[in-house]
Amino acid sequence: MGGITNMNEVINIDDNRYPERLKEIKDPPEKLYFKGEWDEDIFRNCLAVVGSRRISSYGKIITNNLVTQIAAAGVTIVSGFMFGVDAYSHRAAVEAGKRTIAVMPCGIDMIHPAYQKDLYEEILKNNGLIISELEGNHPPAAWTYPKRNRIVAGLSQATLVIEAAENSGTLITAKLTNENNRKLFAVPGPLTSKTSVGTAKLIKDGAEIVTSAEDILKFFNVNNFNKQKAGNASYKKLDNIEQRIFEQLNHEPLEVDSLARILNISVSELGKTLSLMEIKGILFKERGKYHVN
Amino acid sequence: MLIKVPSATNSGLHTIKVEVEVDVAQKGLPTFGIVGLPSKAVDESKERVRTAIVNSGFKFPGNRIVVNLAPADVPKEGSFYDLPIALGILSSTNDIKLPENSLFFGELSLDGSLRHAKGALLLALFAKERGIDNIFIPQESANEAAVIEGVNVYPVESLKILLEHFSNEEGVIAACEYKEKDIKIFDNQAEFDMKEVIGQEQGKRAMEIAAAGGHNLFMLGSPGCGKTMLARALPGILPELTEEESLEVTKIYSASGYMPPGGSIIKIRPFRSPHHTTSRVGLIGGGSRPKAGDISLAHRGVLFLDEFNEFPRSVIESLRQPMEDGNLTISRSMEKVNFPAQFMLVASANPCPCGFLNHPKKACTCTERQIQEYRKRTSGPILDRIDLHVDLPVVDTNKLSQDFKVKEPLEDSQQVRQRITKARQKQKQRFEKDSIYTNAEMKNRHIKKYCPLSKEIKQLLNQASAAFHLSARAYYKMIKVAQTIADLDNSDEINSSHMAEALQYRAKA
Repeated sequence: MGGITNMNEVINIDDNRYPERLKEIKDPPEKLYFKGEWDEDIFRNCLAVVGSRRISSYGKIITNNLVTQIAAAGVTIVSGFMFGVDAYSHRAAVEAGKRTIAVMPCGIDMIHPAYQKDLYEEILKNNGLIISELEGNHPPAAWTYPKRNRIVAGLSQATLVIEAAENSGTLITAKLTNENNRKLFAVPGPLTSKTSVGTAKLIKDGAEIVTSAEDILKFFNVNNFNKQKAGNASYKKLDNIEQRIFEQLNHEPLEVDSLARILNISVSELGKTLSLMEIKGILFKERGKYHVN
Repeated sequence: MLIKVPSATNSGLHTIKVEVEVDVAQKGLPTFGIVGLPSKAVDESKERVRTAIVNSGFKFPGNRIVVNLAPADVPKEGSFYDLPIALGILSSTNDIKLPENSLFFGELSLDGSLRHAKGALLLALFAKERGIDNIFIPQESANEAAVIEGVNVYPVESLKILLEHFSNEEGVIAACEYKEKDIKIFDNQAEFDMKEVIGQEQGKRAMEIAAAGGHNLFMLGSPGCGKTMLARALPGILPELTEEESLEVTKIYSASGYMPPGGSIIKIRPFRSPHHTTSRVGLIGGGSRPKAGDISLAHRGVLFLDEFNEFPRSVIESLRQPMEDGNLTISRSMEKVNFPAQFMLVASANPCPCGFLNHPKKACTCTERQIQEYRKRTSGPILDRIDLHVDLPVVDTNKLSQDFKVKEPLEDSQQVRQRITKARQKQKQRFEKDSIYTNAEMKNRHIKKYCPLSKEIKQLLNQASAAFHLSARAYYKMIKVAQTIADLDNSDEINSSHMAEALQYRAKA
């Protein structure tokens, strides 16, 4: 335990290493406890990615897709380490081998939620930062979450909202972003989903709608290195059945059974083609449905 | 006068010869005692024997009677020593000569008739092995024993008739001829035909592959999507037991006492679906005198565990070793018993605690954490031993039944079963020189021997391993499944489309 506590350091608001951008908000934290290597460069380009804890499979795919490209382009992903969109964002950044900042709702010596310990360690391994304004083993409480959110928004030039329900904590972060006069992005979602209500409202109220990673990268004025994705590259080489499958799934993600019925081919025939397309990286399976990559 | 009457006892599936020695002494006070570690049921035999002898119209001797069950150090259980004891007493008082080279077995009723006994088949097998010519067993159990050729099985109705048989030169009891009968031993045969299952095409295909190769199957799906219905349709597509398999299964049912009176050989594959409150002993087998559990009763058949995640962890974990070895040894202080347990596991579970994850209409109310905790309940090592994994989507039955009215009628169970039977025959030929019957039973050495892969397929499998992070065990599982798909396709070797289809049923990371 001693080793871990020693790693924990603190930066006061009058320290010149304290991030300038965070000072600009209404009530910046007096002290920032952190774990990891404090490199001021990490704060240069920061995007807060926030969203629902109850992430849908659509949300997973979008988070993964956007964050991977944004992080790969060198933008630091800042989020709140909660399960759901937060965790998927951190994970996507880490998997791209990039730095990410997790702002904890609890004391710096705690991991909350504890079962995401592996993600916590991955973040540190990839030169990321764990930050909290609370010391020691301060437990998370209803009031610590909105306070955490103000740091997430305060550290970032812009905030990206992926999936938010009505009256959710995510909307607090969005509100704080607006109050700080920072840029707010929101991802549109299917109107049938409860977690699209919040994002739809944000877009109506003036948040910029995001349809690709480019929208955000343009704001940061950085290049997308990850633009060529496997799906489009091999698109031309598809045979007849593959082509029909691809078009159908491009229209709407489907389960094997529905796809077999629509295309009128047997599941064994379809199954083999789907496996091959999956190996080639054209398709992927998420929660029982096939999606186009 | 000392009389020795040969009999036998079953311990698990193993039969031991027991010599029943009866001495009716000319001196001493009238007593009746049994020695040789008799259980309560054996000891009570005294009252049954005495009353049965008297009620059959014979005189019970007023002498000192000592019965010894040899070997004396093996504990004796059951009521099957009634007949040999009674015969021993009667032959010493009435001067009846018992036939040579015979076995006697059976429980007496107070009126002198004989009751149905368990384990008759094992007894006949034992007689055949030891070169014993005749066995005398209760009439109701005789058909079951008569399956074994080369042994004269005499059906005994009552003590009185048996004695008449012995005193008459020509005999009055004819040896039993085996008659095949339909026996109702499993109450849960196919409740549905495959054509009644609408939608779930991939689920049905997975069932077919599993049944063809004896593979274990794991189904994941929301409540009401048809997991149980599919499993209940499974018995209808299972092929008939082969002769060797029949004998193995019948032995277990006979020894466990599940064979009904007038029993015959079991031809259909067992289908067991224990409830999730089943104890470990109930599932695996055990007890101080070990009995077969559901996994052994599902030997060569199906063990269906519905609501897999609701079974206690310790019960599920105990399936590991039998799933690997196809048999298990139950060791107790009194005895060690080995039961075969080569079953096909079909397990079904919900995707999350509320059950509605991925449901197109109902919202799932579980948090990510709850789902993770729930998934963790499913044992990793057990999942690793399951060859086929399939996700079952929720189907809108109203919409589907309209769709299907237009199309040609669906395949019924009989058609699917024919394909499966053919695939099984191919497997039987393949493993002629090995002691296995199905692709699922293949160990790595069998795979290397019987499933040569072309360069192209190896490459495909390696690409898949990289793309889907397959473990070494999963790699071999895929080959086994591909082999079954090839057998269903009546192909002599695995081609890349067989392998690609097999990959559909890999475990989800």
